Amino acid sequence: MSDSTDRRPPEDNGRFAPAEYVLGVLSANERRELEQRLPRDGPLAREVADWEERLGVLVAEVRPVAPPDDMLSRIEGALDAPATTAAARALKREELWQSVVFWRTFSLGSATFAALSIAALTYIAILPTPRSPMMATLGNASGLPNFVAAIGAGGNELVIVPASLLTQDPRAMELWLIPAGDRPHSLGLIRPGQPVRLTVPPELAARLTTEAALAVSLEPAGGSPTGAPTGPVIASGKLTSL
Amino acid sequence: MDADATRSQLAAALARVAGGDRAALRIVYQDTCAKLFGVCLRILNDRSEAEDVLQDVYVTVWRKAATFDANRASPITWLAAIARNRAIDRLRSGAMGRRMEPIEEAVDVRDQSPGAVDVLMKSQEHARLATCLGELEERHAAAIRSAFLDGTTYDELSVRMKVPLGTMKSWIRRGLLKLRTCLEQ
Repeated sequence: MSDSTDRRPPEDNGRFAPAEYVLGVLSANERRELEQRLPRDGPLAREVADWEERLGVLVAEVRPVAPPDDMLSRIEGALDAPATTAAARALKREELWQSVVFWRTFSLGSATFAALSIAALTYIAILPTPRSPMMATLGNASGLPNFVAAIGAGGNELVIVPASLLTQDPRAMELWLIPAGDRPHSLGLIRPGQPVRLTVPPELAARLTTEAALAVSLEPAGGSPTGAPTGPVIASGKLTSL
Repeated sequence: MDADATRSQLAAALARVAGGDRAALRIVYQDTCAKLFGVCLRILNDRSEAEDVLQDVYVTVWRKAATFDANRASPITWLAAIARNRAIDRLRSGAMGRRMEPIEEAVDVRDQSPGAVDVLMKSQEHARLATCLGELEERHAAAIRSAFLDGTTYDELSVRMKVPLGTMKSWIRRGLLKLRTCLEQ
């Protein structure tokens, strides 16, 4: 909280944030801050959901207003051409990176992300562990997690669990290993909406270290034609040792 | 059709939307567009902005329907939360001029839409919340309603209702605590 006239005692700090978020009294920055915590903070997400249920019924007091007749066709038009409209193409990649709407559209609910994280960790737990297993949380430019990747026994098997819906984008998603100081190496295509298990080639397995990062880019069907990422990178994250 | 039947029909339609069913999206749209447009319009107070946000809302519904959990949320609450969040984000983005309504409107906010409650929302839950709000001091309840329905910040509320910011926060926070206690009884 940024204001200095706030009179609440220090121990109340943040206690009201979920209710205040739902009520709508927070500033843009405060909203953003809370939304970034949501995917990683299950209790916070539950509190927000509870307040939505408590206060949400107040929309009963809003007078319904008929939208324009062409609204449904505008919506369907937007669904049919999500990535190829002139407006989307006009966005420079950097702008897309920073577009809150773009990323919020693609991020899943926190409960789902929590479940996926647990699924990935469970997978790690059942692997034999001749060496330390690794994982990476692949986030977008604003730090919101889009994928969880887990690398198990010997570093030759990798599971990546998408935490984001990218099904509206017709392009393929390709996973890249970026060793420190090296070019990206493809680890294969991944599918939106479902976990994918990939076998890491032996020459790359040795390079899965905490110095390396994973990244996901959007590519033409079948994957990058050049062997290097050609489309926008939608998520990336450093590998960490468990 | 009663509220329960409407609710389960809407929940079923959302489940089909999650599976990529366009016809189901049209059902969701037909059932909710006037309410959600009303929500956006109330917050943004600008028809063209509200239309943009409404389009964005249903695109979001299409993409995020899989995250709707009928066991944990009611469909209209879930949809309205998306609409409110989108509209508030647009309002806060600074792209719009700020509107400052006179203090009287903030206090009278409850009376702005008499009889407008539609079947979808005419629920016991709303009646309970309205009762609990009725137990708060009138200005506190008015501040909470205005924040929720108009998307006003603490700062704006304190200006509108001519009380210091700390006082406004205190009103709303105490009001929220009382509401929660009242609803849990």
